[in-house]
Amino acid sequence: MSVVHRVRLPIGAVSMVEAGHVVEPAEVLATRRPPGPGVSIPIAARLHRSPADAAACLSVTAGSYLEAGERLAEDRGREVVAPSACLFLAYDRDDGSALVAPLLGNEPIVGHVRGEVSSIDEEGIELRISGALLEGVGGTGSAVHGELRVAVHEPGEELRASMIDVGATGRIMVGGSRASAETLTRARAMGVAGIVLGGVLDKELRDFEATQARRRQVGGVRGDFAVVLLEGFGKVGLDPGLFAWFQAHEGRMASLFGDLARVYVYDADPPPARRALPRPGDRVIAHRRPHAGRAGELVRVLGAPHAAASGIAVRSALVRFEHGPTVIVPLANLEATEAIPGS
Amino acid sequence: MTVAIETELALLIDVGSAWAKASVIGRVRGRWRLVTRAAQPTAWGAGELHRSLLERLEAAVDPRLVPGLDDLLASANRIECHTARRPGRIVVAAVSRELSGGAARRAAEAAGWQVAELVTLDDGRSLADRLATLQSLETDAWVIAGGFDGTRSPRALEAAALVASARRRGSGPVIWAGSTEIAGEVAALFEPGGCSTVDNVRPDPRHEVAAPLREHLQGLLRTVVAREDETHLAAIALPKAVGALARASGLRILAVDIGARGAISALAEPDGSFDSRIHGGGGLAGLAGTPGSAARVSRLAGDAGDEATVADLLQTLRSRPASLPETPEELSATHAAARMQAASLIEEAAQGPLDLVIGCGSTIAGAPLPAQAARILLDGLRPIGVTQLAIDTASVLGPLGTLPDDEIREGIGLLAEDLLMPLGTSVVSRGGEPGRVAMRVTVHRPGWPAAAPIEVRTGQLQVVPLARGQEAELTIEPGDGVTLGAGRRSPRIQALATGGAVGLILDARGIPIVLPRRGDDRRAMVASWRDALAREPAPGVERVA
Repeated sequence: MSVVHRVRLPIGAVSMVEAGHVVEPAEVLATRRPPGPGVSIPIAARLHRSPADAAACLSVTAGSYLEAGERLAEDRGREVVAPSACLFLAYDRDDGSALVAPLLGNEPIVGHVRGEVSSIDEEGIELRISGALLEGVGGTGSAVHGELRVAVHEPGEELRASMIDVGATGRIMVGGSRASAETLTRARAMGVAGIVLGGVLDKELRDFEATQARRRQVGGVRGDFAVVLLEGFGKVGLDPGLFAWFQAHEGRMASLFGDLARVYVYDADPPPARRALPRPGDRVIAHRRPHAGRAGELVRVLGAPHAAASGIAVRSALVRFEHGPTVIVPLANLEATEAIPGS
Repeated sequence: MTVAIETELALLIDVGSAWAKASVIGRVRGRWRLVTRAAQPTAWGAGELHRSLLERLEAAVDPRLVPGLDDLLASANRIECHTARRPGRIVVAAVSRELSGGAARRAAEAAGWQVAELVTLDDGRSLADRLATLQSLETDAWVIAGGFDGTRSPRALEAAALVASARRRGSGPVIWAGSTEIAGEVAALFEPGGCSTVDNVRPDPRHEVAAPLREHLQGLLRTVVAREDETHLAAIALPKAVGALARASGLRILAVDIGARGAISALAEPDGSFDSRIHGGGGLAGLAGTPGSAARVSRLAGDAGDEATVADLLQTLRSRPASLPETPEELSATHAAARMQAASLIEEAAQGPLDLVIGCGSTIAGAPLPAQAARILLDGLRPIGVTQLAIDTASVLGPLGTLPDDEIREGIGLLAEDLLMPLGTSVVSRGGEPGRVAMRVTVHRPGWPAAAPIEVRTGQLQVVPLARGQEAELTIEPGDGVTLGAGRRSPRIQALATGGAVGLILDARGIPIVLPRRGDDRRAMVASWRDALAREPAPGVERVA
């Protein structure tokens, strides 16, 4: 099984790889030179022209990237050149100066995935990844990679701070139904690369993000960290089938893209697939309260619309939840979870 | 012996981003009537929708038609509208977050764009961060704004330069909506034809002029993103149908559709002209992660749980838009979110008195109880004065709007009372002292004995039963400092009210509605309004809260 991942390249980035190249998650795919704080360069004074007249002598337009020594402006044999590689931002007609942002040193662009470079163009690099892709419903943080480690015993178990020890450093932890802001903070402090959860309270996630933003402002946060939610918001456990899949792939390398809510697991079998509109006999997972995150079997689809407790009358199905009651659930709130081929 | 039955069917389909709705209309005894309808998550596909309609039709039609029903439905005339396949993504770069940036963002959202990023020169980020952010985005277009007219702003030029540095030549179009003085310089930063100029969205510190940018962006959205036949886009079709309805009825109509992702509002005048807006972030998904929205929804709902619970629900509405609230608490929060989004649709411009307000889409028209739909319209839009309320339960307005103008008029005429479900009439007042009489309303119903005036105090909501098809003449005496919108010469206002599933709603809660600060008081007040609207009273007895 393989999937394609695309890494966007900013303008001016220089690719360090070629098609067919096999890259590791930490490998540098390209480099770029970001602009630093703006500085003013007198133009009018050096050209002995008034600020308004000197505007016509500019050789570049705002937004241009310049190499060191490249001409900024020229008039009657006099010229002003860029003192270093820079980005020309604006010309001030009041004081006759140019605002430029010197380009800083090379910054690496890391793909955070393991795979083979399949194509390169000026806008991005495409990599073919041998493994499985899981797309979640939300997340936070940047791209990270690490070895998978299942930290809870049950898919509905909460990931607690006490479950995170030094052995978790650099790894991607698979939790269950929830992790508090304190747990996330401890995980980050312990050097955990990322966390995969069934659900998390949106408020806890926002609190965690706010704490991290404040710490970043005072320079107290180093390294990247990501969280991806696969099932929903609130206390929502992982689908037991998916949890078993993670257990079967413990120790595999994985990449997490928090903001994109994506998880790549390398050299992995396909995860249990999901399908809308389940049929009788299907294994299903429910997505809304009061059954969110619970798995069961769809017994039958009711012949007529049924009104839920909210009063909404829609096509509904009788579901026998695992370790629980048999209840009527709107069909729109159910997804079929298809078994892993060969399992 | 077989009996040949001549019959005609037409299928009206509205495919939304989360739910697809379909109605079958058929000629019954020489008249076109709504025969059946079905709704389902869009992801279930057209085949399932066909099966669903077929099942319902089999139960509804003459049994002799059943064997040929599948073919009949398959060959029915299909009139379809749909939401744009994907949202248009735009980046806004501006000098100031509060002034030029905020104004440009609002105009872009009102034109139906999803603002992927707002970068301003006062956003606290470093230049490198701003540039890296802009370069990392996938966007369909760029808007740049800054500088007041009559001034030459180097900062505005800097904002334009930032876009010029981040954007690849020849990629998405750039719109300059800043100072006219530097429009030429800004255009020169981009390839020929790459940048177009519209009027400054913030020409001076006190005024925001959103219309030119909004209209330009609406046109751009159609050409850049919605390349499919635009007449079938719900954002085009719904306002057209509302315009035709306004012309046919001679009424001033506001229609709103709060969708899963975006929202549409259309204000139509009696001459058929209309002004429509597509609100890219105006759908239920738009509130997720917005600072303060969970707390506001929790306060508005009263019975939906605490802020944390509501925050999870708002994220669920974003991540699983086709799922449905199963518990009363989740429904209450969803409706509160819809009321909040409806209020934001009309924040930009006071729409003035309206004759008819129509609620469209699954959230409003698909509410389990008519009273819940009425409350979303009333609390969200606060239509001052005497206004009829209705919902498009069969989702036919959007599909009808895809037809040529003369056929829209014909369709409206043919469907007649099947077109909309009337909820009743609202009388909404503004002003007044808390606890004092806001209005005295005398309801004269033909054939009923004369009734004493009903006194509605400021902050109260009363419902007087008035069934569908009934009419009543109202004599309204506003109290001191109370207005119903229009200027008046007489101390009494005469108006006609038409009935509906809810009745005559006398609403003196003011504009906007102010809720008590204390949690218990607030919950009690919200519950009393909900109960006043939802109770089933004895005929002729008004419901008071």
